[in-house]
Amino acid sequence: MDLLPCQLEACDALTAFGDADASTTGLLAGLRALELTPVLGQAGGDPVPLALRGPLDETLPPRWLADLQALATRIPSGDWGRGRSPVVVTSCNFGVGSLYAYQRERDPRHVAPGAPFAAVELLQKALGWGDDLTVFSHACVTSHLGLSHAARLLHAGLADRVLVFSYDFLSPFVTGGFHSLKILNRGFPAPYSVGEIGSIGLGDGAAFAVLRRGVAASGGFTVQAHALYNEMFHVTGNQPDGAGFAACAATIATAAGGRRVWVKGHGTGTLEAGRLEAEAIARQFPGSPLVSWKGGLGHTLGSCGLVELAITVRAVRQGRIPGTVGGTDPTFGDHVALEPFAADAFDGIILTSNAFGGAHAAMLLTSS
Amino acid sequence: MSPTPITLERYLHHVKVEWPAADETAAGARVRLADRLPRTALRRMTHLGMLVGCVLEGVPLGSTDALIYATSFAESRALEDYLASFPSPSPLLFQSSIHPGGVQQVLIPRQQPIARLWPMAGRRRLIEQALLAALIEPAATVALVGGEERGTWLLEHGMASDTAFAFCTLLSTDPSGAIGRVEFARADGTAEACPDLQSFALALRDRQPLAWASSGGTWRLTWS
Repeated sequence: MDLLPCQLEACDALTAFGDADASTTGLLAGLRALELTPVLGQAGGDPVPLALRGPLDETLPPRWLADLQALATRIPSGDWGRGRSPVVVTSCNFGVGSLYAYQRERDPRHVAPGAPFAAVELLQKALGWGDDLTVFSHACVTSHLGLSHAARLLHAGLADRVLVFSYDFLSPFVTGGFHSLKILNRGFPAPYSVGEIGSIGLGDGAAFAVLRRGVAASGGFTVQAHALYNEMFHVTGNQPDGAGFAACAATIATAAGGRRVWVKGHGTGTLEAGRLEAEAIARQFPGSPLVSWKGGLGHTLGSCGLVELAITVRAVRQGRIPGTVGGTDPTFGDHVALEPFAADAFDGIILTSNAFGGAHAAMLLTSS
Repeated sequence: MSPTPITLERYLHHVKVEWPAADETAAGARVRLADRLPRTALRRMTHLGMLVGCVLEGVPLGSTDALIYATSFAESRALEDYLASFPSPSPLLFQSSIHPGGVQQVLIPRQQPIARLWPMAGRRRLIEQALLAALIEPAATVALVGGEERGTWLLEHGMASDTAFAFCTLLSTDPSGAIGRVEFARADGTAEACPDLQSFALALRDRQPLAWASSGGTWRLTWS
């Protein structure tokens, strides 16, 4: 466990709803940004639930670039990527959608942002960042890695401020893959709900956070601790006894101590992982409400941890926590909160994400 | 004001580099390495996955250890093959194409849980960032693993490696019995070019020292 408190100087997000404020408002209203969309975009295919900020098929320049430039205008000023202000970029898919576009159209301009480093270099040039830039890619726990690494840099005395920037935009490359696994289907996600068939929805997402070492002053937020664990049990499945979920939850529970917390879970809408996660949270945090927002936002993949952190901050400031949009009774436990609830009864938030390979991540957030 | 002096160091206790013949294919590697990798996993492994499997062979990793996995191009061939599978995308190739597939292909058949896995994907300063991640990792033992596989049409566009290789070095804070040392000393200065992944792998293979400056300090790889 990394007990390395870092104050959140700033954070924001972009989803299909809009920025973090708009996303929070949408979730509090129980709205669903997901719409049934042909899984292969122009090429058609089954309609699947996607929450998009633009057309699914990749464009020239890549459609994510303008959105990320717009998001970056909200980053506090700094000499990012230089001196003592490093940048950590995290994504699962970077610009890989461009390779699918090349495959379809044979326009070589599509290849340019195809590799992770090339997408990041395009972004780096567009945003004027220096070369002190670290890139992580670990599927859907990726942004947790970025935040955890940033905390380590700050506590090692190697940085004064760290910008963590995370994004994942959909493309037929990604949607086709999840559809081939049969978890992206015609059904809308109902996280933590008992059902016959599990379904996920996918969404575009991007977010940033600026971190400084130490605990935030009154009115601010602090990421107190991180926990990571990798089962390495199966490529897409988890240990059937939920040991991986339990290991990560136990670690972050130690950091939470006696705090009264609520839990922003991963909750994509798959049945087995949803059940294991809900059970592990109930055991480790008895009486704590558990929510997932992926039924509204879609699963924003590698950016989800940071996107949902930015929404959490907005929700706590507003005093109301969105419930599990899309979830229906019966659920995998009474602790699954389907409706919004008041924030003021709690003094901590656990945020979790999971990924292929049985990767688990969690962090503890507090407000001062 | 001068920055507070900071020196971070770790000791190298194991180095293994896999550098196959330039024309080796995944099919060729499957034959060459048949006795060294689990048979059930072998048929699904990528070239990079097999090479990573070799460099991690016999490496004593525990569930409280950490692994840093550095690659610029990652699963190039799986990515090419997955793209070719459209309009009926292959679930297996989709899974294999996702970073950090190269190392998961090895650890999952071994059922080897690990506390923290840090898959990295940069280019210009990738080695420096991977070493820094290792130096600030609190685990007693950190495995630094890296590698690439040779692409085909992605290579023609500069989006895949022209060489297949993999390396692993085990880093610890214990100097006894070490074969080498990596050190970062904070200092102001002008950044020099950082060794690329391939150069670093060659330095490990040939036990060659490396030294360069980043914008935040100086780096040194030395051998006992």
